[in-house]
Parts: sequence; structure tokens; C-alpha cells
Amino acid sequence: MERYRKYFLNKLSWFLITFVCAFILNFILPRLMPGDPVAAIVSRMAQGMSNATGVQAIYQQYTELFGTNKPLLQQFFIYVNNVLHGNFGFSLSQYTRTVADVLGASIWWTICLQFPAIIVGWLIGNTLGALAAYRKGGFDKIIMPISIFVSNFPAFGMAIILLVIFGVGLKWFPTSGGYGFDLIPNFSWKFIWSVIVHYQLPFWSIVLISIGGQAIGMRSMSIYELNADYVKYARFMGIKDRKIIGYVFRNAMLPQITGLALSIGTMVGGALVAEIIFSYPGLGFTLLNGVMGQDYPLISASTLIITVMVLSANFIIEILYGIIDPRIKAAQAD
Amino acid sequence: MKHIIQQVFHSGKFIVGFVILAAVLLIVIVYPLLIKDAPLAIIGQGTFFPPGTYVNAYDSLGSPKYILNLEHAAAKRIASKLSDDDRLAMQEWLVAAGIPENEIDISNTEQLLRQWENHYDPQTNIAGMTNAKRNYYIRLNASLKGLLSTEGAIIAVKNADTGALEETGDVVAQSDYVNIGQVANVRRLPLGTDNFGRDVLTELVAATRVSLQIGFVAGIVATLIGLTLGLLSGYIGGLVDDGIMFITNLFTVIPSFVLLILISFSIGQEKRGAVTVAVVIGFTSWVWTARAVRAQVISLRNRDHVNLSKLSGHSLVYIIFADILPYVASYVVMALILQISSGILAEAGLSILGLGPKTTEVPTLGLMMNWAMIYQAPVLGKWWAYLPVLVTIALITFSMNLMNTGLDQVFNPALRD
Amino acid sequence: MAKVMLEVKELTTKYITRFQENIYAVDHVSLKVEEGKSLGIAGESGCGKSTLALSLMGYYFPPLHYTSGEIIIDGRNISGMEPDDVRKSILGKEIAYIPQSAMNALNPTQKIIHFIEDVIHAHESHVTKKEIYERARKLFEILGLPESTLQKYPVELSGGMKQRTVIAISVLLSPKVLIADEPSSALDVTTQKMVIKMLRDLMEKKLIKSMIFITHELPLLYNVTDDIMVMYAGQIVEKGTAEQVVFDSIHPYARGLMGSIIVPEQGLRDVKLTAIPGVPPNLKNPPAGCQFAERCQYVRPECKAMSVNLRELKGGRAYRCILSEEELREAYQNG
Repeated sequence: MERYRKYFLNKLSWFLITFVCAFILNFILPRLMPGDPVAAIVSRMAQGMSNATGVQAIYQQYTELFGTNKPLLQQFFIYVNNVLHGNFGFSLSQYTRTVADVLGASIWWTICLQFPAIIVGWLIGNTLGALAAYRKGGFDKIIMPISIFVSNFPAFGMAIILLVIFGVGLKWFPTSGGYGFDLIPNFSWKFIWSVIVHYQLPFWSIVLISIGGQAIGMRSMSIYELNADYVKYARFMGIKDRKIIGYVFRNAMLPQITGLALSIGTMVGGALVAEIIFSYPGLGFTLLNGVMGQDYPLISASTLIITVMVLSANFIIEILYGIIDPRIKAAQAD
Repeated sequence: MKHIIQQVFHSGKFIVGFVILAAVLLIVIVYPLLIKDAPLAIIGQGTFFPPGTYVNAYDSLGSPKYILNLEHAAAKRIASKLSDDDRLAMQEWLVAAGIPENEIDISNTEQLLRQWENHYDPQTNIAGMTNAKRNYYIRLNASLKGLLSTEGAIIAVKNADTGALEETGDVVAQSDYVNIGQVANVRRLPLGTDNFGRDVLTELVAATRVSLQIGFVAGIVATLIGLTLGLLSGYIGGLVDDGIMFITNLFTVIPSFVLLILISFSIGQEKRGAVTVAVVIGFTSWVWTARAVRAQVISLRNRDHVNLSKLSGHSLVYIIFADILPYVASYVVMALILQISSGILAEAGLSILGLGPKTTEVPTLGLMMNWAMIYQAPVLGKWWAYLPVLVTIALITFSMNLMNTGLDQVFNPALRD
Repeated sequence: MAKVMLEVKELTTKYITRFQENIYAVDHVSLKVEEGKSLGIAGESGCGKSTLALSLMGYYFPPLHYTSGEIIIDGRNISGMEPDDVRKSILGKEIAYIPQSAMNALNPTQKIIHFIEDVIHAHESHVTKKEIYERARKLFEILGLPESTLQKYPVELSGGMKQRTVIAISVLLSPKVLIADEPSSALDVTTQKMVIKMLRDLMEKKLIKSMIFITHELPLLYNVTDDIMVMYAGQIVEKGTAEQVVFDSIHPYARGLMGSIIVPEQGLRDVKLTAIPGVPPNLKNPPAGCQFAERCQYVRPECKAMSVNLRELKGGRAYRCILSEEELREAYQNG
């Protein structure tokens, strides 16, 4: 337990450090660009917004919120304070709604879509990879080329193909949105059913994208483990093959968990684009709206939230990994 | 060196990948030499013209006429205006109007049209018919008018003074043909036009070129950064290593596309050229190269030939270039290939988010995807606007990955299985 | 007359590569080990000694395949048995194996005691975990291993400790034959000594009835085993007692093998150090005639023409050469 605590604290401090760095980057990158961000915002907005008083009000509010007339360090502390209070200001493209409000509505769609999909894709991919390594022959020859092709396929491409086949062609599932456009969110069966139906295409396209890479990784890990010395020894001690396969896949699975932690950022990136293809009301779509509407506060807050999500997922995986793999605890001994 | 190249070209996977990529490159280079149209020129008035050969209708009136008596000409003419769905719809209407179903034979075109002509009346109200359906029948009826006629069409010209139509004496008979080679204006659009009315094929070729350039620049930038950091961190070790590894670990967990989005947005639409986007992509994707190079260098650092070089008093730069680089070169080449392909994908992802290169100068594969998505090409069934783009992206990334796998198998024999 | 624990008659096994080539790594090998005795097998790497160790288990998985010959353990012929019967009633129970690199021989994510449970349950299904623990504890005590090892993961053990644990697990079911494949080669000298002492203990404490010890260091065998067999290119080239083979080898290869290692053992210091030039033949296309002819100092034209049989001498000694014992000794005399 003592050793695990050491591991946990180590990971926790690393999590905090990366978080702080990501936070600073999120703050500083836009400000490194020449020009006053608020002035740029307002000049962009002047083209779109007809309500002159509204523009003026927003300008004032943002100068105050970001403290753009103050030194950078002071601006940073203002930013920290605002974020801690959940205050991201007003959304420019959806004025009268705050950024926190817009994000609050979309974040749950993303979490409920992406994390289950990535986990399901991970599980299916690993199972296929393990089977390909164990069964070899025909199964391997079919699964592997498909996996290699799929894993090279862009996320949005997979989404479009599913959309065209199952949405436009076969008309099994709706092609856009998170629920029927004629419905108002509530807890009726009709609404829940609509959500489930709309969930399918985005869900499966994310699952399919994540399967390929995982299957390839699991296959080579399993082949590596199948040739390990302990397999030979266990065989010569008369242990049944089925039991040995159990050892092998458990051991091959462990690096795949760390692999998931490292690749979850990329996966979320792909999945956000897939959301856009389906106009799914999650963060990806919000981000697109932010870009389209030149909505700086919305984009900045979205990227921050996405970073927090990815870092947290990463942290949780690492923590679980520490519990599952005994080698981690042993490595903390010295 | 020669031996290695020979070995590489013995790998089936590498050859397949190489051939696909070479074919793409060849098309990208040769096509603009043959067809000199500007890729972003708007030629079509309207959106999404389907693929095909477009013959100028006005010019074909003035072209020499040839009479060809072809057997199925009339049937084909009717069939092109009367699809199976239309026939079923007609049957439905006629049945609803009270004609016994067994008297209607939808495969007998002539009889069907006579029945339709005799019974159809737009005023008749049929119970349960929606407005849309009613309008459909009115349109269908209009298109069927004169379908069975064997008369030709008379060409008339508007008198500039009176505004009255005057016959020119020219009659276009149903058996008149023109030779496509004698029509002054013919345009082939093998992939139709996009939402702005631009030739998709020409645009696609230009976009592929730009995307490959973006991928290449991004790959070079990422590889150079990754290689430099990896070499320094692996060879020098100590504090330098700690510092570089800290940054590398940091950028491993902070998702690179978040940085991409932030930087791209901050640069602003106006300043975002293709090269800028490429460099930004390169700056956010060097992490894995740095890690791989570092691991390699650490294993090389204490090899005999490196130690010998150190004892001989060679400089750091010399040792790195002469004793270390040649050994990591294969990894660097493989990493570069992967970086190029992921650079192309990153550009596409950014463009779909609306953060791609400035749209007025050049097309990229991502921008074409973005336009197709904004104008809902997939939902409208305009496959030519997005499918060729997707196929091109997939071909490029797939071919590069095959090459990479091939190289991997040549350089790491243990993976051959 | 002591009971014969392991008898092998004309055993031949081959590897089938993915290009469907046959590589005969064990070529008509016969041997015999009696109760309470140990046999050493020596040879360069690539001479087929490790393959012989695998082949002796009577349980083959690709790319290794059984071709012909018999393996008889304590009077029971296992060559014709179903693989699953071999696994259940022979492996680990009658004949046990210590792998070349015991470092990685244990599943890294399993506690030692859990692996022991799996081993015992593979052969005896109705033993409770408590009984198994008790058995393992007793065995570890006899072998001088701390009881706490049982509750550890392999990563928590040092190299020597891991090796000793693997040996303990191998003899868990008191096998009649123990096959140790270079168990000491990856260890430092002190630990090597400890491991070899432990193997001798096993015999003395009657935890095993006989042992086959495989190594590339021929002189090492002198301290460990009663008899020695030298292998070259999948064949036996010389066998005899340890004393005979180490101090008075007949076959040129065995002599060369003695000379190629610096050994500070008594009585061996005067032996001249001579490495054998060249490498063993490629078994994909073995040469006709004597396999060693290419590298042999005393080669004659006829060596490469005809295949050479093992010559049996009295007292179980044998060697594979066309020259007689006297001719060879004379050749050695003349340098």
C-alpha cells in the first residue's frame, strides 16, 4: 500500500504539473499573437452584429474580464480567478448566453458519446488483436489488413461513410443532431428513444476508428508475449494451454492500457471531428460554431475543457493501471 | 546503402505503398501540364453538377446534322423521362382514380401514357394525398406532354424590333444527330462540379498537391525538431535530458490538436497560408520522433565505436553526425513518413473545423472536405464532391503506412511474421 | 544394477521453417540415465543441445516436430502418447525442465504461490490451496528459500533468487528426470556456484532421481555430472564418464572444446588454449560425411565422403570418427 501511495502521489503531481502547463499555454498562446485580442474580437464582431450598443457592451465587458489594458502577469491572475469562478464571459456568437452555459449544455453529450465509444472500441480492438495473434491463419489474414486500412483512415472519413450508408442510403438512422429536431429535451420515452437512435452513428464511427489501431497493437503485443520464456516454461510444467493463454493476454493487455492513456488525446481529437460530421451537439460542434462565429471566448474555454477532460482520463487510466499491474508497485521499491 | 535499398524493394508491402504514392505524385505532376485550368475558377452557375460530358446546347443547334435511324431511340427517350418510380406513381394515381388495377400494365409504355392522358386531371381530388404529392403529379404530367409525339422541334428567333418569334426554317427532327467533335464547346467534368461550381477533378489534383506539400513541410519541421531534441537529450543526458524529457512528456499528454486549434485560431484567417498551417502542424507533432530518437541514441551512446570516437577527441557535432546519425537514420526516415501522413490528416481535421488555410488561394484536401460538409454533399447524395477526396486521403495515408510497415520489417527482422 | 530413469533411442526431431524447409537439429540421439546419476551435455551454441533438451520432454509445438525414435521414462514409453496425456501425466511430474533464462521464466504479473497452484492443479485437481501452500513452504524450507518468496511477484526477486525459485518450482512434483538447460549461464559467478550447489543438493536430498545438465562450458560439467556427452551438429560425437571426457577426450571436437575455455580448475591449467576455428555447419544443408570435417585439424579426404558412425568402446564410451582411438592419440601426440 505504501508503494502504491508513492506511485499515486507521483502520478498526481505529474497530473497537476501538466494541468498547470496546459492552463498557461491556453492563456498565453492567443496572447503571443500580435494585436489586442479584444480589439480583434470587436472588429470581427462589428461586421456581424447589427446592434451597436450590444457590441459596445461586450467590448467593455471583455476589457474588464480579460484586463487587456493591464500587464500580462496581472491578466493571468484575472484569468485564473475568472476560471476558478466558472466565469468565461459571454459567448459572442450566441450572445446573451454565457460561455459556461453553452459549454454546460454540450459537454455531457461529448462525455457520454466519446468515452463509452473509445472504451468499447478499445475492448473490441484488443479482443480482435488477441484472436488474430492466437488463431493466426485466415482470421489473422483478414483482420489485419482491414485493421491497418481502418487505422489509417481519417476519423471524419469513417463518419461520412457510416452517414452515407446507414443514414442517407438505408435510412436506418438519422443523419444529424443529438435528438429529433422537433423534440424538447425531457424524460419521456419518445425523447430517450430519439436520443438512442441519434447516438448510434456517431458512436459506432468512433468505435470503428479506435478498433483498428488497438487491434494492431494488441496483436504484436500478444505475439511478443506468446514467444516469451514464461510461456515455454509453463507449458513444460504441464499447465494447460487455455490457462497459459490467460497469462499471455493479461500481460499483453497491460501495455495496451498505457497505450490508451497516451493515445486518448488523439482519439478525442478524431472523435470531435466525427461529432461535427453528425452535427452532434457536443464540444466538437460547439467548437465549430465558435470558429464560424469568430467566438474567441467560446473556443478558448472549449480547448481548456477538452484538455482537462483528456488529462483527467489519462490520470484515471494511469491510476487504474497502477492497481492492476504488480510491476508498478515493485518498481517503486527503491 | 545500395544493399539496403535493394532489401527495401524486396518488401512487398513497401513496393505496393511506393507504387500507390508514385502514381498519386505522377498524376499531381502530369495533370496540370495537360490541363491548364485554374483550380479555383468558378465555371458552373449552380451547385453540384453531376459528373459527365457537357455539350453546349446552342452550339449543337448550329453544328452539321446527321440522320441516324437507330432502333431504340424513341424508347430510350421515353425511358429517360419516365423512370420506374414514375410509372408506379402513375399506376397509383390511376388506381385511385378508379381504373381497375388489372387493366394497367406499367411495362407497356404506350398504353400507360394513353391511360394517363385520358384520365389525369390535376383538379381531381384524391383523398389522403399530400400537397407535395399533388405537385409532383403536376410536374410529372408537364414532363410527359408530347412524349409520344414524333414531330421535330422548330427553332424560332426573337425579332429584336417587334419581340415576335420568327421561324428560321430550321427543324430539329427526332432522328437528327450532331457529332460531338464538331460542336465548338464541349467540357468534360469527370467528377462534376462542387458547391461553388468548380471543376472537382482539377480542384482535387491541385488540392492533393497542396496537401502533400503541407504534409511534407509539417513532416520535415516535426522531424527536425524531434531529431534535434532526441539527439541532444539522448546523447548529452543529465540536466539537458531531464529538461527535454519534461517538455516531451508534457506535450505527449496535452492533446496536440488543442494546441493546433488555439494557434491556428490566434493566427487569424487572414495570415493562415498553407505553409503557415504546415509549420504549425509540424510544431505540434514532433513528440514521438523525439522519444524514438532518444531511445535509440541512449542505446548507441556507449557502443564501442562511439567511445573510440570520443577518445580520439572528435567534437560533439562530429560524433553526432558520423557515429550516431547513420544508426538512427532508418528510424528517422520511418518517422518522417508517418509524420507526413499524419500532417495531411491534421490539415484535413483543422480544415473541417474551419481552421484550415485561407480559402481564396489554394484548395487543400481538408478544405474540399470542409466545403462538401458545409453544403451537405453527403446528405444530398452528391458523392463526387466528397468521395474522391476521401479516397485520395485514404490512398495517401494507406500507401505511406504500407511503406512504413515495409521499412520496419526490413530494419527490425524480429517483426517479420 | 540401478533402475534406468530415462532412456532415449535414436531420437530425431526437426524444425520446419516457414519456407517449409526441414532442419534436423537432433539426429539419431541415444542416451541413458540411471537412478541417482546425472548426465552432462556439452557443445557450442547452435549444436542442437537446447533443442535436444526440448525434444526430451516428448511434447512438441511448432516449429519443432517429432520425427522418429523413442523416449522411455522409468520404463514407460512416452513417444506414442497423446500430447494432452503427455502434458497431464508426464510434464512437470515425471520429467521437469529448467529453462535457459530463468530470468523471464516466470509470468511477471503472477505471484509465485499462484503459479505453484496452477502447476499442481494441472496434474492433481483435488488439492486445496492450503495444502499446496504447505507443500510449497516445506519444499522452500528444504531448499533454503525464504517462505516470503511465495507471496512475491517475480519482479520483486533478484536474479539468483528467481533462478532458485524456478528450480524449486521445477522439482515441486519430485520428477524422475530434471533437465537443466544452461541454468547458470546468465548469472554472476557467486550465484552460479550457488545454483550448481543447489542442483547437487536436489540429487542428494532425493528430490529428483536423475538429472541432465546442458551447458556450453564443458569443464563446468566435471564438477556437476557423472557422465558427459558432447554434441556437434545435432549428433553425439563423444560420450563417457566426466573424468574421461574432460581429461582424456578422444574426438577432436571435444578436445577443442576443452581448449577453448580458460579454466582455473586443478589439473587443467597445463592444457593449451586452442580455439576451434570456423563455425558449425548450416543444418539446412548439412554436408555429406563427417559434420566436423570442415573444421577438423586432422581431416582426411575420406572424411567428407562417407557418413561416420558412433564407435562404441567398452564401459559405455563412444565417439564419432573414422580414425581409431590409437590413430587419434598418435595425432594428438604429434601436435
